[in-house]
Amino acid sequence: MNQIARPHAASIAAEIRALSRNFMKGCRCFFTAAALLTLAAGSRGAGAAGPEEWPYSRPLDSPPPEVKSADRVVNPIDAFVLQKLEANGLTLAPEADRRALVRRLYFDLIGLPPTPEQVEAFVNNPAQNAYGELVDSLLADPRHGERWAKFWLDLARYADTAGYEGDPDLPHAWRYRDYVINSFNRDKPYNEFIREQLAGDEFEEIMGAGELPSATPEQAVALTFLRLAPFTEPRGDESRHEMLGEMTSTVSSVFLGLTVGCAKCHDHKYDRIPTKDFYRMQAFFNTVQIAPPERGDIFQIGGPLPADFYREGEKEWAENKRKELHGIQGQLDALRADFGNRAGGALPDEKQLPDAKQRADKLDEWIGDPANEAISGAEREQFLELKERLPFVKQHLKRLQPMAMTLRHSLGPPYEPGVPVTRVMLRGEYDKPGEPVEAGFLSCITGSQEPARIRLDPFKRWPTRSRRMALAQWIASPENPLTARVMVNRLWAQHFGRGIVPTLSDFGKLSGGPSHPELLDWLAHRFVEHNWSLKAMHRLMVNSGTYRQSSMSGSDRAALVDPDNTLLSRSNRRRVEAEAVRDAVLAVSGRLNPEVFGLPIFPPLPEDIAQRVKYDQSKWATDRGPDGRKRSIYIYQQRTLTMPFMQSFDGLVCEDSVPERRLSVTPLQALEMYNGDLVNVEVKHFAARVIKDAGDDPERRLERAFAIAFGRAPTAAEITELRVDAASDEKLTGLCRILFNASEFVYVD
Amino acid sequence: MWTDNSLHHPFQTRRDFLHRAWNGIGALGLGGLLADDLRGNDLLAEVPPVPGDPLRERLQVHGRKAKHCIFLFMQGGVSQMDSFEYKPRLRELHGQRMPDTGVSGELQGRLTFPHECVGSPFEFAPHGQSGRWMSSLFPHLAKKVDDLAFIHGIKTDNQNHGPSTYHVTTGSQFPGNPSVGSWIQYGLGTANQNMPGYVVIQDPRGAPVNGAAVWANGYLPAAYQGTLLRDKGVPILNLSRPHSLTEAEQRREFDKIKRLNELHLAARPGASELEARISAYELAFRMQTAAPEIVDVSGEPESIKKLYGLDNDKTAGFGRQCLLARRLVERGVRYTMLINGVQIGGDSWDHHGKVKDGMIKKSAEVDLPVAGLLEDLKQRGLLEETLVVWASEMGRTPFVNGSASGTPGREHNSYALCMWMAGGNVKGGATAGKTDDYSLRSVGEPIHVRDIHATILDLMGLNDEKLNYLHAGRIRRLTDIGGHVISEIIA
Repeated sequence: MNQIARPHAASIAAEIRALSRNFMKGCRCFFTAAALLTLAAGSRGAGAAGPEEWPYSRPLDSPPPEVKSADRVVNPIDAFVLQKLEANGLTLAPEADRRALVRRLYFDLIGLPPTPEQVEAFVNNPAQNAYGELVDSLLADPRHGERWAKFWLDLARYADTAGYEGDPDLPHAWRYRDYVINSFNRDKPYNEFIREQLAGDEFEEIMGAGELPSATPEQAVALTFLRLAPFTEPRGDESRHEMLGEMTSTVSSVFLGLTVGCAKCHDHKYDRIPTKDFYRMQAFFNTVQIAPPERGDIFQIGGPLPADFYREGEKEWAENKRKELHGIQGQLDALRADFGNRAGGALPDEKQLPDAKQRADKLDEWIGDPANEAISGAEREQFLELKERLPFVKQHLKRLQPMAMTLRHSLGPPYEPGVPVTRVMLRGEYDKPGEPVEAGFLSCITGSQEPARIRLDPFKRWPTRSRRMALAQWIASPENPLTARVMVNRLWAQHFGRGIVPTLSDFGKLSGGPSHPELLDWLAHRFVEHNWSLKAMHRLMVNSGTYRQSSMSGSDRAALVDPDNTLLSRSNRRRVEAEAVRDAVLAVSGRLNPEVFGLPIFPPLPEDIAQRVKYDQSKWATDRGPDGRKRSIYIYQQRTLTMPFMQSFDGLVCEDSVPERRLSVTPLQALEMYNGDLVNVEVKHFAARVIKDAGDDPERRLERAFAIAFGRAPTAAEITELRVDAASDEKLTGLCRILFNASEFVYVD
Repeated sequence: MWTDNSLHHPFQTRRDFLHRAWNGIGALGLGGLLADDLRGNDLLAEVPPVPGDPLRERLQVHGRKAKHCIFLFMQGGVSQMDSFEYKPRLRELHGQRMPDTGVSGELQGRLTFPHECVGSPFEFAPHGQSGRWMSSLFPHLAKKVDDLAFIHGIKTDNQNHGPSTYHVTTGSQFPGNPSVGSWIQYGLGTANQNMPGYVVIQDPRGAPVNGAAVWANGYLPAAYQGTLLRDKGVPILNLSRPHSLTEAEQRREFDKIKRLNELHLAARPGASELEARISAYELAFRMQTAAPEIVDVSGEPESIKKLYGLDNDKTAGFGRQCLLARRLVERGVRYTMLINGVQIGGDSWDHHGKVKDGMIKKSAEVDLPVAGLLEDLKQRGLLEETLVVWASEMGRTPFVNGSASGTPGREHNSYALCMWMAGGNVKGGATAGKTDDYSLRSVGEPIHVRDIHATILDLMGLNDEKLNYLHAGRIRRLTDIGGHVISEIIA
């Protein structure tokens, strides 16, 4: 605080409260009286700093430091970590044993437990580089993308419905989910990944006359990123204001780790982001054009645009799926024709009832009538089941159209309006225009509020084009001090349990800064150097000695000087995320359907939830077959209904960008794992698998069950405790249920 | 944690802040902060939850009588001028255009269309000591009028169903935020360790607008989510043990799980999250007995069933919800939300047409049960410690777009929501806020939904500005920029 004399704090606080009420009305942020007081006293900590201050300064490429325990340095990450540890009188914990490591790597890199055979192969691999080989093989596994996509989809606030009243379906959103999985598996460079999601329609530079180039299907699908915010019945200018504002805030927090959204209504209170910068950034989005609602969409959520299927085999897959679904319609028609012939005089003919629709209804009514003896019970049941499935099938057919929930830039004059003037909106309100602004980059990074240079085509025929590409290129540039840092920090947090900067989507002043600044910068440099390869970063991190440490509690000194384990003197034990809990149950029972990509799946919901939490007949088409046992990444993300199983383990259907999951412990998890349908169906299959593999001997059964569930042999104490439960086939189901409920099933050391 | 001292030395970073919070915790004697459940976040509440036991009961920050809250949510928009606001002038204007009231925004838009005023078709009369005018639709509630404090002319941020439902139930018109009950749990924990502390009973006919998001924990930990109490079958999802198992067999398996987990923990000393998990299993086991007992109302005397209207088809639905709410209060459940009405349509309070028929139907569902609930709480001495809140999504307009002849309805009105509260420290018979002669919008200082939430928190002994949570780089709270506590209705 500076030297300004101030009146009694409480009276200032009261005054500021009154002021804030008037000035900040309608704003979604608030600040504590204390923080406002700082402002009133004129001491905006960050106010005086320029782009040379962290995090706006370019990352330094410092060489890894010299450390005492040089023998513990597997790669330079360890040198940076050890330096801090040694300064605090600590060191790295011993390396975890191979059984712990293999389980950690599998859950971390592909989100599934290793099979007993995979565990033994690694544990007994004499090769010098057994660990590195395992890392490489898991990174090459297609299931890697399935695991890591969820982390990105949470950030992208991905869902398959729009939320709010009616919670209407977004039939083509799933293609974006597949795009993310595919991009991660192919190790798409992160800078390209950014450009596609922000400006997929503006890739091709126009050098002359001729047709306006269009986005490739993949680029069109990538742009879904900008369309994933919840959407409710539009209200004209206000909705557009909200939509563009949401894009601005989300893009800033996801890619730049800056809470630019706070500056929508007022200058950012902690970071150097004036309101004007919010609208300067929003101006990059001001030629965004979304398709009008489709006919019949009473919620008016805006429509999709064409985008062909593009991945290898995708077209054939879609075609086959379409045929399969059309088959159901055909089957129904055939049944109707057959039953109709049996009706004879029981139904009105064309003369008696000229309306075809009404005649069809009468026929269905007659078929459905249990008193109708012309049709057997089984036939009737088959008919009604197919009929009930039909609306779901129709919705699936819609999902299979070659469309995407994408957007484009407006065409500009003479076809569509030109570039609109963007203005600062006073207090963030849509109808309080202030001064006009030009599109420009954040001044906290560039040091100026100069307009951005937007590269138009030579004839300026498309003045509305290239605005988002200008922003995307600035974000995805090696010169941008935040982009690489923010992304490597996100990956780090996933691997190590907490970020080097703990607030993953906020690198501003409130973050408190990085615990290991040189390490973060070093990683950011390597990221760019490796052509923005995510897999290169995963490889670097999980190969480090820091990652391979044991998670067992370290020294007393560690508990004293670093109780949060910020310095990483051991590995952080973690509960696996909701998706991995469900996937592990299915993997252990041997019933996980490994099919990759495709339409959203609808696993069975408990009791009558499916009927009760839905809005229309086309929602939650329960898949009782193998489709319902695909991996959790494919589960339909309905904003008004998170699957209770997922919800109990902190899984969520996103409304806004979620940088990290909570990992809480609740009794509802116990009820879910012990009493719930999923576990109690799968225990039977788990038990059958154990019997098939291990025969009748109780101890062999125990060994096999432990190997499948935990990747290890039971201890003597465990054998004593559980031998009796493995003795009979009947009891064995109970044993399997016990193992599913063990802490070890959901915690990874 | 915001002492005067902290006002002089505002924290510069989150880390500074947490450092200070750590010291504060030490001073409170709540050591042993552990596990993932803290990460600094929970320290932002004035009396932070106990790590590993987020639902343990904690003391109110300032003394209030209410320990429980029952939140009655009427889906749709209850027509205030047909229920609790007597507007004789409106009846005089029936069938005429609205006089020029100088409104702007959406209301003004609606008034540029052909419209006619709709007077209330219901008779009003004064009731109780307070002499409050009530419509003839609420004869039973009218007898309780001296226990109720009314708030008029409440402003909501959006007049569409989805956003306004979010606004009233979570403090923000945008999705993704914790509901009021989650905040209260986060602030106070719960007294009953055998039941979830936050229970929701929806209309037996179905789910509300926005579905389960209405009782979601948002960015707060999952422990604070509302639990849906189901009206058929087992009352809580996954509550009944697997078929074919007896209670003894289940207990035996639970003991084995416990033993296995203790062995696992023994090899990992100090792992608090693993300890918490062992306790969570024991709580789950106890819930299996406690919850079915709560929903079994067969032992209630006939007189009580009648009091709640269980003997009548019209009132039985909401009557059972109200009776269960009382039983939950008796067992220490902190927050109960009862929802009347499903989505939008004939079963909700959304009367764009036929407001007369609609209000007759809807008021008949709830009038007797709500009055019965108040009566029953009072006779058991529980009203003192239970805050009862009547809420809806929004108010309605005094006019209809179109003609007032025939069977007119009313449009949405985000400027004139009317609510009431009772119990706890609520001053019965009091009134706050006022609407104009037509009930078009408030006159005087407007009351906003965030003021309502600040008042609810205050009546529960919490301070809305100190109930904070750090999420995605921002300190968040129920009332966002802070609300005014409506002191007129507090005794």
